[in-house]
Amino acid sequence: MSGFIPPFDWHAVVVSPWTENMAQYGWIVAMGFLVTLACGLVGNYLIFRRMALVGDAISHSVLPGLAIAFLVAYHAGSSGLWGTPPDAADGAHHDYRSPLLMFLGALVAGLGTTVLIELIHKKSRVKQDAAIGITFSSLFAIGVILITVFADEVDLDADCVLYGEITFVSMEPRVRLGELSLGPPSVLRMGVVTMLTVLFILLFYKELLVSSFDPGLSRSMGINPTFMHYALMSWLSVVVVSAFESVGAILVVAMLILPGATASLLTDRLPRIFLLTVLHAALSALAGLHLAIWLNCAAAAAMVVMGAAWFVLAWVFSPGQGLLRRWWTLRTQPLAPPALETAQPRE
Amino acid sequence: MNASSPACRQNGSCLHPLQWLRASQSAALLAGVLLLLLGAAMPAEAAKIGELTETDVFEQAIRFFSMKDPTARYALSGAVLLGISCGLLGSFIVVRRMALLGDALSHAVLPGVAMGWLWHQTKDPVAIFVGATIFGLLGTFVVSLIKQTTKLKEDAALGMVLAGFYAVGICLVTMIQRLPQGNKAGVDKFLFGQASAMGPDDIKLMAVVTLIAVVVLFLFYKEFLAISFDQAFAHVSGFPTRLLHYSMMLLLAFSVVIALQAVGVVLVSAMLITPAAAAYLLTDRLHRMLWLATLFGMVSGALGAFISFLQTSLPTGPFMVLAASLVFGCAFLFAPRHGVVVRWVRRRSRARRVQRENTLKAIYHVLEDRDFFGEGVSLNELAERRRETVEDASQLATRLVRHGLATLHEDGDLILLTPEGMQRASAIVRNHRLWELYLTNAASIAADHVHEDAEKIEHVLGEETVRKLERRLAFATRDPHGRAIPSTADIQKISKGGSSPEEVTGYGRRP
Amino acid sequence: MPVEIHDLTVAYHRKPVLWGIDLVVPKGRLVGIVGPNGAGKSTLIKAMMGLLPLSSGWVKLFGEHSRRNLKRVGYVPQRESVDWDFPVNVMDVVLMGRYGHLGMMRRPTRKDRDIARESLDKVKMLPYANRQISNLSGGQQQRVFLARALAQESDLYFMDEPFSGVDAATEAAIVTLLHELRDRGKTLLVVHHDLPTARNYFDMLLLLNMRVVAFGPTSEVFTQELLQRTYGGRLTILSEVAEAVRTRT
Repeated sequence: MSGFIPPFDWHAVVVSPWTENMAQYGWIVAMGFLVTLACGLVGNYLIFRRMALVGDAISHSVLPGLAIAFLVAYHAGSSGLWGTPPDAADGAHHDYRSPLLMFLGALVAGLGTTVLIELIHKKSRVKQDAAIGITFSSLFAIGVILITVFADEVDLDADCVLYGEITFVSMEPRVRLGELSLGPPSVLRMGVVTMLTVLFILLFYKELLVSSFDPGLSRSMGINPTFMHYALMSWLSVVVVSAFESVGAILVVAMLILPGATASLLTDRLPRIFLLTVLHAALSALAGLHLAIWLNCAAAAAMVVMGAAWFVLAWVFSPGQGLLRRWWTLRTQPLAPPALETAQPRE
Repeated sequence: MNASSPACRQNGSCLHPLQWLRASQSAALLAGVLLLLLGAAMPAEAAKIGELTETDVFEQAIRFFSMKDPTARYALSGAVLLGISCGLLGSFIVVRRMALLGDALSHAVLPGVAMGWLWHQTKDPVAIFVGATIFGLLGTFVVSLIKQTTKLKEDAALGMVLAGFYAVGICLVTMIQRLPQGNKAGVDKFLFGQASAMGPDDIKLMAVVTLIAVVVLFLFYKEFLAISFDQAFAHVSGFPTRLLHYSMMLLLAFSVVIALQAVGVVLVSAMLITPAAAAYLLTDRLHRMLWLATLFGMVSGALGAFISFLQTSLPTGPFMVLAASLVFGCAFLFAPRHGVVVRWVRRRSRARRVQRENTLKAIYHVLEDRDFFGEGVSLNELAERRRETVEDASQLATRLVRHGLATLHEDGDLILLTPEGMQRASAIVRNHRLWELYLTNAASIAADHVHEDAEKIEHVLGEETVRKLERRLAFATRDPHGRAIPSTADIQKISKGGSSPEEVTGYGRRP
Repeated sequence: MPVEIHDLTVAYHRKPVLWGIDLVVPKGRLVGIVGPNGAGKSTLIKAMMGLLPLSSGWVKLFGEHSRRNLKRVGYVPQRESVDWDFPVNVMDVVLMGRYGHLGMMRRPTRKDRDIARESLDKVKMLPYANRQISNLSGGQQQRVFLARALAQESDLYFMDEPFSGVDAATEAAIVTLLHELRDRGKTLLVVHHDLPTARNYFDMLLLLNMRVVAFGPTSEVFTQELLQRTYGGRLTILSEVAEAVRTRT
């Protein structure tokens, strides 16, 4: 057991990342924050709609879409249609990923999952929960088989699918604009997606809200709830796929649900829930990085662990509805008799 | 709707063996389809995977399934054992709508696996089993705690437990891998599963656990059935429902944990859900569902193990899951009663029947218009009546002939109804007119509004309902439009006619 | 006494649903439980059977605290409370009525099957014994539940809205059956939501709105004043109340 948990060295764990390796760790935290924020914002709507597990399903089933996108990009690339053909003599690492194809693959996979789940539980007596389980596991299995069988063509390994490689962002060649170094491409990409997510929510705040809580009312207001549903699912697929290489297929689920769930334990007001989601994302990313440095474990997983820790704290200590508060009221306050509407005889 | 097959509904006992036969037939059919598909897919797959030739695959298959190779023996028996336990427990979680709790539980075991490994710093099956079971149960406990003490709903609780526990597990696994002895730890094999990594100790453990699950489910089948169908009622019957529920969760955790090694954490829930859901589509009785789910679990487990045996670098889990999904797909499409294709075919045949009946009705109307005088109906007359082309009418007539309802004469231009055809035609016209009369009399709907409704009802009225209608309408002979209603008694006379065609058809000559 | 309840309080998430219920039901009565939505009618039944934690008070069935005498209790839950796609047939469901008598680990015997068949016959569902339960109409499903309760051969029956979603013929058949059971000395507590018929169906009425508003013979309890106190200021129901009282002759 010795050496399994390294001693906690304050300087090495907390101080030196920011004094010595700022450039390296800064980007990792930024990536973690952006991923958790984008996921958390979309995830809030999944929680409202009681569709958290559809999010789980989509996060698994974008894998085959992604794998096929890589395959297509590789073959198109090697025949010169897409970017430069591979040159063995060159020896340099060739990047065959095409963001456009990746998003396309994820969209198709995400919408396909949603449709398939609907199909199974509408056309047979299999219930929705089982339909979700069957759909995502089949698609995920296909994805895993694709990436193992075509390991040479698809630049995704099993570890990446399982827990992501968020630390790789600091090693990516920076995108440059003239003299100015902008940052690692995947962080920039995620930044754009996160910004679009915020924009999406700001623009369609009312529509998303109404269609989440009252489909009937939303129809009468001229907002098609089915369209909003598929729009949300499509956007979810885009968010999931841009986060995929950093956090993998499963940890994404935590990032979708934990921020919103934590926030909803602390407040009932929707705008505050969104603000707390941002706070939760930032704290999880930051604390997660330090945990990962201390324990020398997978950074994305550490971020989720910290996110879960914040949830547990809120669960226990929330001033309004925490476990402690519940326990205290149970101890001290007797039940109040029900207020009865007294009979009001009317003429 | 109640009258669609009165004979079978009345004699309930006849259904029992028939249904069973159908369920087992479809199971055999499914297995056959699966093998065929695999046979077709295998050479291509194998060629891609390991540049194996076709004969090699067969040799390998013989080597694998004859269990001469110890690795193959362990892999195959492990796959079969996990198929049994996952099929059994999976059936219960599918009918209890707890499929995703199975998913959450299966991810939540990961920290337990890591801690079990840390206990002796080796892959000790028992330590890993204990650790994983504890964490699996802890996961389900946290889910219910979140549900009870917060306003979060079950889906959010499941998602958080699933991914939160999994994240803790991943942290531990990556820490183990960075230990000096961690490289050959084999803990990472628990993520996607590797059947060939199983040793005799693993198999022994799996056998014991599967045996426990089978025995407990056999002894307490009645109790588990009761709490799954109606928990409150089980409580009233004096069963310890909470204890039964937790023992079922314990068995569920057991079967997840023993399946981990072969299927992996990420996909093990599919081995619970998919075979059971396929079985759910094939039968209406829980005990048969258990049998079928077990069978499907074993078959998909064995196939997955075999494919990964061909090329050891391939993970076993995804192939097992894919095989199970294939079984489910077949059941979804071709299940005798609930299958999509089957229902489509049934709908189509119903549409065809309605079309035939409408043709018969048109012929009847033509005959009626000339007081049943003359020899049959020409294609032209039929086409005119139905406002269609002669080609269409001819096609309709051919369909009648195919069903023995009419014969064609004079180079296919003259349609003569057979006695059965005449009987059916009269019955349809009777249904239509009786219903019109009923609507105008009993429901006091205007006579010119009843036709549309009767057009639909006439095809679904059962014999018994017709008799009730006749009695209720005092055996009326005229419909609201003043046309004659053929009575049931008259219709039955048609078939009792003589032997010559004219006598049989009974309407060919002027009366 | 079949049912004795003292100072019963039940709360969901610290919100009281039943408050200070005191009730003694004599043997051989057919009791209707009526009240507005959210009055705690189903909760009362569940609390009596020990399915819910009690915040205060106690329930005695046949003079003992509930758990012990549960086997003498028959139960007809709300039709929506079970999954009708569940893979069982009508006979399987009715046989569940015998489980309480069998105890753990024992399988139903021929005698149990005979009793189940008789119960099915009483509700005229014997021809459907082998039908899967999802292929039944609402009225037929309710009859199956009733047959299961009959197979329990209990002395005390709790029924939760046995008339909901049922056709007129089934409703009449159920009422006859309830009267028959009552005449054989069984005690029945039936949650009911239709006021006008409540007056004709039951010997005694329990007017419930979180508290007991009134409990007594139907003729004494079924008054405009008491019904209005039960249903409070709910306008739509008030007119129904007035109507119900007016039709009373």
